[in-house]
This record gives sequence, structure tokens and C-alpha cells, in this order.
Amino acid sequence: MAKHSIMVIDDEKIVGDMAKLSFEQDGYEVETFLNGESALERLQEKRFDVVVTDLKMKGVDGLEVLRTVKKLYPGIKVIMITAFANLDVAIEALRDDVHDFFPKPVKIKELKASVQRALGEA
Amino acid sequence: MQKNFFRRVRELFGRNHGAASDLATRFRAFQAVLDGNNRTLEAMTEMGEKLGGDYLFDVNYTRSAYAELFAAVSDSLRNFNLLTDQQYPQLGEILTRIDRLVQRMLTGSDSLFQGQVVFYPEITWDLAEEVGGKNYHLAELANILQLRVPEAFAITTAAFRDFIRHNGLTERLAGLSSADKTTLEKLRTEILAGTFPEDFCTSLTAAVDKMRNRLGKKGKLAVRSSADEEDGDFSFAGQFETVLNVDCTVAAVQGAYKKVLASLFQANAISYQRQLGYDLGKLKMAVGCVAMIEARASGVIYTAAAGKDRSSMAISAAWGLGPGVVDGLTDADLYTVAKEEDPRLVEQRIGAKAQMVVNSGASGVKTQETPAALRGQACLREVEVMDLARHALAIERYYKIPQDIEWAMDNTGRCYFLQARSLRMDEPADDVPDKGMAAVAGSYPVLLKNKGIVVQRGISAGKVYILRHLDELEHIPKGSILVARHDSPHFVQAIPILNAIITDIGVPTSHMASICREFNIPTVVNTGSASQILPHGQAITLQAGEEGDMVVYEGFVQSLLREERQKGAKLRELYEVRRQKYIMRYIAPLNLVNPLEQEYTPEKCKTVHDLVRFMHEKSVQALVANASRTKGIGGFFSRQSAVHRLVLPIPVQIQVIDLGGGLSGKVVGKEIGFAEVGSVPLRAVLAGMLFPGVWQNEAAPLRGADLLSGMTRAEDLTREGAAVLENVALASAVYVNMSLRFGYHFNMLDCYCSDTPRNNHIYFRFVGGAAAITNRSRRIALMAEVLAEHGFALKAKGDLLVGRLSGRSREELEGILEQIGRLIGYTRQLDARLDSDEMVHILAQRFLQGDYRVAP
Repeated sequence: MAKHSIMVIDDEKIVGDMAKLSFEQDGYEVETFLNGESALERLQEKRFDVVVTDLKMKGVDGLEVLRTVKKLYPGIKVIMITAFANLDVAIEALRDDVHDFFPKPVKIKELKASVQRALGEA
Repeated sequence: MQKNFFRRVRELFGRNHGAASDLATRFRAFQAVLDGNNRTLEAMTEMGEKLGGDYLFDVNYTRSAYAELFAAVSDSLRNFNLLTDQQYPQLGEILTRIDRLVQRMLTGSDSLFQGQVVFYPEITWDLAEEVGGKNYHLAELANILQLRVPEAFAITTAAFRDFIRHNGLTERLAGLSSADKTTLEKLRTEILAGTFPEDFCTSLTAAVDKMRNRLGKKGKLAVRSSADEEDGDFSFAGQFETVLNVDCTVAAVQGAYKKVLASLFQANAISYQRQLGYDLGKLKMAVGCVAMIEARASGVIYTAAAGKDRSSMAISAAWGLGPGVVDGLTDADLYTVAKEEDPRLVEQRIGAKAQMVVNSGASGVKTQETPAALRGQACLREVEVMDLARHALAIERYYKIPQDIEWAMDNTGRCYFLQARSLRMDEPADDVPDKGMAAVAGSYPVLLKNKGIVVQRGISAGKVYILRHLDELEHIPKGSILVARHDSPHFVQAIPILNAIITDIGVPTSHMASICREFNIPTVVNTGSASQILPHGQAITLQAGEEGDMVVYEGFVQSLLREERQKGAKLRELYEVRRQKYIMRYIAPLNLVNPLEQEYTPEKCKTVHDLVRFMHEKSVQALVANASRTKGIGGFFSRQSAVHRLVLPIPVQIQVIDLGGGLSGKVVGKEIGFAEVGSVPLRAVLAGMLFPGVWQNEAAPLRGADLLSGMTRAEDLTREGAAVLENVALASAVYVNMSLRFGYHFNMLDCYCSDTPRNNHIYFRFVGGAAAITNRSRRIALMAEVLAEHGFALKAKGDLLVGRLSGRSREELEGILEQIGRLIGYTRQLDARLDSDEMVHILAQRFLQGDYRVAP
């Protein structure tokens, strides 16, 4: 069976690095991106099963990533993580069909459970 | 004259009035210190957890969490200064220093440490980066694990920075990322031709002189690399130069130092750094100057034998110096040892060892033919192999990851450790799957399940050591699992040798809990009854889970232990995760352990945790001192409405000064009885004093010598307790400070007893007596035996006893205070009756069993 693939977008390198290590240990294929632009470009070339994105980034932010993904690739589940937990933004993201929404620091185990749910494994 | 008199009265009145309101102010400051300390400890716990590897976090998180912690400890310090009249100005300086270190880590700027040379015994936790990984770990083996390490000093990264700057190379290093071979070669040449700043020469000369004094004129040094990251999470094994057999002179050390520095930029080292994603030119080189051992034999230990075998270790050994083994110059002996509680030699393969490496007469080393008598002979006897194995296991346990250890044995058979670093091995991909683990663990009897709070998760095994008294701490065998009734920051002294801690009572935010997280020791607190259920000496495996679930299995569950070793290592390798976690070095470790020790000084505070602990202890002392001064003006207070005379059915009268909530609401008039006391701790201690049978009323058989002794001491006691002329209790709802004088001896009790265990303490002091000093000392011994049973940290000298207890719940403290009340009554005239040392233990045990007879 092919490995499930996860895209992680966060402008802080450490978040992508940690997520990559953690998910790869569980057998996922992971690619990390430091901004929304390069991530959306990559989506044109490769299909991912789940996108984990930071909300607040310069340029294309997490909400824009979410909307673009939902419009162009509706099958991909999007999980949002943010250091700036804000109810209005969370509601907006939910309206745009975000799969899950986590404040940072996020417990890796919970994020993994959410990814599994997104993949229908749980 | 009369005018003068009234002025003096007014002054007196004014001063006293000031003292009264001063006490209230100080009490508020005291409570504010406790509050600030609590917020600090909570923030510390939270940070430790979030940075521990279970969470995705970013730098913003670390910044904001640290800002919260800093604000809390600053609040605490401000109130502490108010309480202590700025008696400890050093604390502010220390906090500033810590803050600077943390800010530097948060912004990634250079170290401010200026020291260029540091001898190993002076290498402390906060100098890890400055002395580099290799120096730091070796110093840890000596300073913490107490293993034998040769005399050595470190030349720091500050010296490196100064050298680079002095030779105009700073810019060159900054632009190194795209350097080609030629550029690197040129850089190396310039380093080798470099000169030294004057202050460095001065420091180095002093260090070399000191070393020569210790080693003698013939002493030689090994000059070794110790880059700031080396042997940390990445080994850099064999990437940099080591210069052996260097003369102990300034010129020789300088020459070797430059060779080591230049090796930072040799091709293999550069490519290694590139592979690991380092920014070239950022790595800083510290250097170790380590005394050469006249080695009969040397070698290497892998605490996990190669391949999939993690249950045994491999020890290699060759005649002469280490390069024989590490550089593969000879077919060394190979000893395989099973890693059991008592290591067992399972195989030995003796090499021919036709060649060996020895010191050459001049500087350097040479390879020569091994003398015929030594060829094919084992380098080590079995007892020596076992000794090495046991030490290696201790090192592995301490670092929690298999180790690659270098050692050397001198002609007298003394073994020295020369290096310890993480052993990198590929994880076996097809090892026992998870389901198998559960099945294997399931076949072991379960002794304890899902009890208590997991403070630090992990899986660990060892033999149970039931700790009854704190003074047993130094006798605990290495690798034990400590099981105790209560948690205690005193355990820190044993933590390097412990495999796990389980307590009956405790909270996840205690000092001890922070320490356990810092040292990554699996810890479960508040299990209720572990110390009753787990037998002393029983081999157990503790599995403390992420979700707070725990299991204690009987025996060593090897499959679980193997699984644990495979997990966890990788996330810690991430450079940024490490950087963030380094911050905790300046926050969480606790260097101050026993408040009764003399070295309990502001200068010993090196972390936020130390500051919090220091402030707590000194706040208590300041409050006690202030309360004593206030009681000295009891005559004034006795005319005030806040002061009441407590009348009890025993022959003692106590003046109670109410600080708020100390008395119940229904008080009418100046006299009160037990029923009107509202203060929780005062009620508890009075209840003990009033307990039937403890108040000894018979006249004690004082002898002539006793009386004389009592009279000559009377002056001393009056002076010591000059302010305490009456029995006085300062009380609030949760606090009491009480002085009781019975004849020639004093009891002083200070207690905070609230619903927050971390705030609570008892400070108890007992001094004096009318009998001869032998008898008075016996009474002290008896009291010490009783208080030790309740977990007090104690200090006794002659007829003085000081006991300290903290971090207990309100209910527990009430019980202990009641016992102290009984003890106060019981021991009132006991010194005169203690005619033999045997009586001390007999009566102490009787007392603990509720039997208050004093007849032999």
C-alpha cells in the first residue's frame, strides 16, 4: 500500500522539521514548506492526502491555503494550527470546511490522531 | 525633663506602632512572594512539558512562555526585597544574568562568557556551550558521576572567538557558506600562522603552570577538539584533530591548539557539517587539554554491541594508548558483556596485538612491535572487565542513550575515562512489533496499575529502594528505583544514579518534579501506597505512559526497555529543538537543595529554580526574624486590641497576636481559650500540647551539676532570645509563629499551613535546657528521631536542633503539628531524665507509638 502523504506549511522551520520527523516515524511521507505560495505550487504537481498549515504567514496565509485547497482539491483535508488562537478566525476556518483547528503548541499525539481521522483510519 | 520624657514615650509609641503595621506589610509581602513563586513554578512546569518533545512549538511560544515566567519571578523578587529590606541585592544581578543568557538563546546571539580557560571541576551546567560537548561530558563524568577522569582544563569558545578576531578572520568565517577547497586551505594556513591575544597568553600560562605543578615536569597533555556541539546530539566522531603527548609548556599547547582549530575547516569536517545542515562558520571550537595517562592498556566501550544486539555491550582493549583501538591499528581484545543488573562476561576474544601505540620520547606517539610476552595475552582480567562494564552502564543510564566510551588503564590498574558520547546506530527496522511488546509485558505480574500522577513519562527498570529517612540517600545503590512516602527536592543528590522515582504523596509541580523532568527520570507521584506495596529490593519495571497511565511490573521486562531506548532520540536531534530546550538549563535545574546547609547563599543560585527556592527559604527566615522582633515589644502589644491572653488547662500562658483570622469571630474580652483560636496551625499544635498524658507535671530530678549548668547558661539563652521574654504566638488563619520558653529552653515554631502544599512549611527550633550537656544532647537526639520519622530535614548541634519541612498538604501538616505539640509537652523536662543513650531510642519509639511513659 502506498504511503499516505502529508504537506506541512509553517513559516517557522522548527515546526515543519518536528512534524516531519514525527510523522515519518509513523510511516507517512511528509513534505514541508515555509510559505503558502510554494506549497500551492507544489500541489499542482503532487497530490497530498492531508495539509497541515499554520494560519498566520506572510503572503499567502493559512486561510487562503484552506480556500484554495477546498476549491481546487476538495478531497484534501486541511488541519490548521496557529499561535494566535482567535475565535473569529476559527469560525471562519470552520465555515471553509477546515478539518481541525489547533492552538500552538499542539500535542503531536493529538495532531496525529486528527490526521488519522482525516484519513478515515480512526 | 518632663518634656523630654513625653517625647521619648511618643517616639517609643510611634516606633512600636510602626513595627505593628510593618509586620502586617511584611506578611503581605511574604504571601506575594509565595504567589510569585507559584506562578514561576507553574510556568516552568508548563515550559518543560511543551519543550519536551511531545509538542509542536515555535520560537514565539518559547518567547511568550519565558516572558510570563520572567514576569512572575520578577514579582516575587520585588516583594522579597521588600520583605528582607534589600538584604540580598545579588539576586537581582543573578536574575539579570539568567535573563541575558536566555535572551541570547532566543535571539541566537553570542555568549557573553569571557573566561578563556576553565579547569574541569569548575565546569558547571551553564558552561556546556562554552567548553564544548566533549569537555562538558567528561567533566560531568567526574563532577556528577564521580568517575575517574584525568586532570584537565578546557580552552573555551570565548578564547576561540578572541583568537579569530585577533587574527582578523571574523569576516572570513561569516562568509564561509559557499567556500571552496582553496579558500578553506588558505584559512587553515592562516590559523596555523595565527598569533594569540595577550590576555589569552596570561590565562594559558597560569593554567599550564598549574598543570605542570600537578603532573610534574614529565607530564604530557592530550589536546583535543571540543566543538560547541561536539558529542552533544551529534558526535562529530573523528572529524577534528587530536594532538597527543604534547609537552606541558605554553608554546607546545599553543601549537597543538592551532592544529585543532584548523581542523574545524578541513574537508571532511566541512562535509560532515554540510550533511547535518549546519551553517558553516558558525560552529565554535573549544579545546580540552587533558593529562596523558601512562596507559598499560586502552580501549573503547560500546554500551550497545553492534547490530541489533542492545542487550550486551562490547569492550575492546589493546596494549598501550587509545589510537591502537580507535584507529583500528591492531586486532584488539573483544569482551562481550551481558547488560544485566549484575553484568556478566559472556564471551572474550583475545587478539594477537602484534603492534601497540606508545608515547614517543619527544612529542607525539609511535606504533611499535608489542613485546613478545604481551602478544596474544588478554589486556584485562575478568574483574577489570566487570568494573568497566558497571561504570559504562552507569554512564549509559545517566545519558539515557547507548554510549561510545574511551578509557585507559594505568600501570597500577586504575581506570580513567577519556570520553563519553552518544552511540549512533541505525534502529533495527524489523524488531519486535508493538503488539508483541504488549503480549510480552502481559506475561509479567502487575504490582501496581494506574495509580498516581505521571510526572515524567518513560520506561525504566531497577530494584526497589524504599527510602525511610533522607540520610539514607547517599547509600542508595546505583540504578535503584527510589520509592518514598513523600517527594522531596533532597532527592536531587541521588537523581544521577536513580532509574526512576515513585512516591505515595506528591504533586506534579513540586521542585522534585521539575528536577525529574530536567533529568528525564521516569517519575510517578501520589500513588497512595507504593511504599507499602512494593517490597524493598524487588526488581521491577515501571512503565509511565503519556496519558498518565502507569504500570509496575514484577521483574525486568526487557522488551519494554528495548522499545523505550528506540524511541525519543530522534526529535531531540533537531537543532532548533535542542536550541529551545537549552533555555531550560537556565531555568529548571536546582542547585540549592538543603536549606540548612551553610552554602545556602545567593552566590549559589544559578537558575530561576534556585532563585525561587532561595527566596522561599529566606522569606520564611525573614518573617521569623521579624516576628521575633515584634514579640519583643509584647508589652506594647499586650495593651492593644489585637493581643489576647490564651488560657489553657496546662501551666502555660501564651499571648496571641492576631494577624487576621488568627482568632475565631466570637472573641469577647482579653482572655481566650482554645475554642477561640482560629489559626489552623496554632490550633493543631495546641491540640497536641493538650493531648492527655503528654504534659509531664512531675518534678524532674535535677542534680546539683544540672542546676549549675542551667544557671551558667541562663545568660546565653537570654541573650539569644533577648526579644522573646514571653510565650507569644503571632497568628493568622494559615500561619503561626510561636515562641515558648520553659525554664531554660526555648521552642520556636514557624508554620504556614494553607490549602496549597507548595506554600507550606514548618520551621522548628529547639535550644537549651537545665540539665548537663550530655542529657540535653540526648533530648535533642530523641526529638531528632521523632522529627526524622515525619521527614524533617534536621540539623543538630549540642543542645540546638533545627528542623525544616515543606511542601506538605494542609491535612498532613496538621497531623505533624499535633505531634510537635505533643513533643513540646513531652520533652519539657525530659533532659533531666535521660540518663543513658539507650533511653533515647526507647523513648522515641514509645513516643511514636503514642506511649508517653518516661519511666525506664
